[in-house]
Amino acid sequence: MGIIKASKLIFDYVTKDEEEHVEDVNRAIDDIDLDIKAGEFVAILGHNGSGKSTFAKTMNGILLPTEGTVWISGMKTTDDESLWDVRRTVGMVFQNPDNQIIGNVVEEDVGFGPENLGVPTEEIWKRVDESLRAVEMTAYRLKSPNRLSGGQKQRVAIAGVMAMKPKCIVLDEPTAMLDPNGRREVIKTITELNRKEHITVVLITHYMEEVINADRVIVMDDGKVVMDGTPRQVFSRVSDLKSYRLDVPQVTELAYELKCAGLNMPDGILSIDELMNNLLPALKNAGPFPGREHAAETAGEEKTENAGTPEKQDIVLKAEHLSYIYGQGTAFEQYALKDVNFEIPAGQFVGLIGHTGSGKSTLIQHLDGLIRATEGKIYYRGADIYAQDFDMRALRAKVGLVFQYPEHQLFEVDVLSDVCFGPKNLGLSKEEAEARAKEALSMVGLDESFYRQSPFELSGGQKRRVAIAGVLAMEPEVLILDEPTAGLDPRGRDEILDRVNTLHEEKHITVILVSHSMEDIAKYADRIMVMNSGEKVFDDTPKKIFSHYRELEKIGLSAPQITYIIQRLKENGIPADADITTVPEAKDELLKLLGKES
Amino acid sequence: MLRDITLGQYYPVNSILHRLDPRTKLFGTLVFIVSLFVSSSWPAYAVATVFLFAVIRLSLVPVKFMVRGLKAIVFLLLISVAFNIFLTEGTVVFQIGFLKVTREGLRLAAFMGIRLIYLVLGSSVMTLTTTPNALTDGLEESLGFLNHIGVPVHEIAMMMSIALRFIPILIEETDKIMKAQMARGANFESGNLIEKAKAMVPLLVPLFISAFRRATDLAMAMEARCYHGGEGRTKMKPLQYGRADRIATVVLYVYFGIMLLLRINPLHVKL
Repeated sequence: MGIIKASKLIFDYVTKDEEEHVEDVNRAIDDIDLDIKAGEFVAILGHNGSGKSTFAKTMNGILLPTEGTVWISGMKTTDDESLWDVRRTVGMVFQNPDNQIIGNVVEEDVGFGPENLGVPTEEIWKRVDESLRAVEMTAYRLKSPNRLSGGQKQRVAIAGVMAMKPKCIVLDEPTAMLDPNGRREVIKTITELNRKEHITVVLITHYMEEVINADRVIVMDDGKVVMDGTPRQVFSRVSDLKSYRLDVPQVTELAYELKCAGLNMPDGILSIDELMNNLLPALKNAGPFPGREHAAETAGEEKTENAGTPEKQDIVLKAEHLSYIYGQGTAFEQYALKDVNFEIPAGQFVGLIGHTGSGKSTLIQHLDGLIRATEGKIYYRGADIYAQDFDMRALRAKVGLVFQYPEHQLFEVDVLSDVCFGPKNLGLSKEEAEARAKEALSMVGLDESFYRQSPFELSGGQKRRVAIAGVLAMEPEVLILDEPTAGLDPRGRDEILDRVNTLHEEKHITVILVSHSMEDIAKYADRIMVMNSGEKVFDDTPKKIFSHYRELEKIGLSAPQITYIIQRLKENGIPADADITTVPEAKDELLKLLGKES
Repeated sequence: MLRDITLGQYYPVNSILHRLDPRTKLFGTLVFIVSLFVSSSWPAYAVATVFLFAVIRLSLVPVKFMVRGLKAIVFLLLISVAFNIFLTEGTVVFQIGFLKVTREGLRLAAFMGIRLIYLVLGSSVMTLTTTPNALTDGLEESLGFLNHIGVPVHEIAMMMSIALRFIPILIEETDKIMKAQMARGANFESGNLIEKAKAMVPLLVPLFISAFRRATDLAMAMEARCYHGGEGRTKMKPLQYGRADRIATVVLYVYFGIMLLLRINPLHVKL
């Protein structure tokens, strides 16, 4: 028997009414048999609501099985006497970094677990030292957790678990709320704990890139285990994964598409190197490519020129020498924005990118008049928004801002009333407001059956759509979305972004999309603005921006995987079109180069 | 920034007072407050003044930081002084209309004013020199005897320390929700009292929901880390009652003795 073993495991969420009558039974885990060996790095994948988090919580007795058994190192989680031993053996790290740190100082939080176990004071200090060192957070030991970044907080949470000397750590979507840098930090930390300290790791996630290094990948759907194998085995079944609302990394998808187009390609390619090894010999045989070099270059230039020359456009938003200083006049004075200038023409789809703290959230709040610039001006259709007689509320109707995790602002008794909140604030009558709300809800794909439901009973993705509808109902000309896909599974992400893109195309709404994901932005945006330390460092078409991938890396960002693939081809003397940023484009180009046009 | 707010406004310097055990400081504050209420003569207040300012000096906290705490009680101070001046019977010094100002009234008002001011200064010496955590630990230890009569002292202390951790987070969250609703056209500023109260609904409902969500998450995280109340729990930073604390305690006893003597006045000296 391994360190974690589940047999015929079933878990039901039961809702009861006030008289304890069962109202509803929701089966979250449906007959799981699983055995995890000590020292393994296991990744559990699954869409939102697939039962993976519930499964994680049965592993240390936070939830007890409805039927079946879970053993931890041979102890049953249902035995009262062994409960604390179970929890000491299997440590758990949760999704929200803020909601699992108890101490007011980093080192005190790490000491919390050992304190509960009754470890002697001296030994606690030793364990705290060791654990902080293992997650490389020793330098922050005396800081308040509130001063740390998301990735650092998660590392503190991991240290807190390590200090209990567990044999296994279960991490329930530890990276879902982090930016790419934070995600890398956390994954690196847990990979090292697994390799160096031989801790068994169970990582629950829906980011595919994170599971490539796992020993074993388990895919859950509808409370069941539907796939179980090495990353390569699992990733070779691209279409199955997609049917489970999941996704594969771009390189895997490209390899799969090429294979489907009749190329000789092994299953489950996981890295750019593997793809190159399989592609280059064939490409070199197909060459030379007379005339290609030149054609590709000029085509690229033409395209960028077209996008780059702003003709007499209709400018909706304009920022002029925009600066914002935090804590002006104090010792903490800091530029959150520094001399930012831009014009946004009507109908553009702008991607705004930058790591956490780069100033992008501050910038979009300025555009909605929620923060007043320290210096500089903002014009909405030529009108200075800081002028005496400017109507700020009218601006907020025209420039719709969807905050990060917008579902956290829902408050009404039913979906329709919540969406009506915005239009009503504009002074519209009840009928008009409802008409607008209904239209907005249909735009996000929610039909009549949702109108009278409580927003709090919906799924995460549905809640988010209601919240976006709440902004759309004000009929904005410009729609600004701050990380609209944060925390959603791959399918949920695509659904939201496709909706936004449809709005952009059909209603000609100007869109500003704030995102960490270069892949998403590459797919939709006409233009990308890159922020770093409060300054706008790049502002151009996606293709031009991604050609600066080395500079992007310097400021903690990266280009889509496809850009790197094309780059590698060029380094090997294959004249691929450098403008390519998406998988279908890359596939067509490669097939063309190989003389296998579809 | 909002996240810089610390409750109890700890002033980070390293003084003798900062190093004292929080229990000593709690005891000292209590002794000082009681001494203010037993004193009723000018010499007694003189002793209290010397004691208070000596302690402030030792704390190395600038006096202006201390005085800042007084702003909050200005109104209360004025009212209680006024009541004492006008409502005490005795020898009339002068009279404006029906308002009589008496000798006794002036004396009582002065004492009351001094008491209130010293009360605030005295307790801010404690909060400025003790981190909120140490304060909670100190309270937990000092009030431990209440456990015997069924007061869950450990749990209350744990709640206080969690509150301290989450207050900045919830303040930030309030700001975020407020902005999000303003982006949907909400108006938190104008309107009469009822309209303003109504306007708070879109802010308060999401805030409560979020607080409950955080509470559920936190409870689960604590359980996962084997938290099961105060029983069998060890401390990473146990409180240590050292030599400085013993000396401080003796000083406190001496001070309190003097204050008592001044009150009882066994030699019937005219004060």
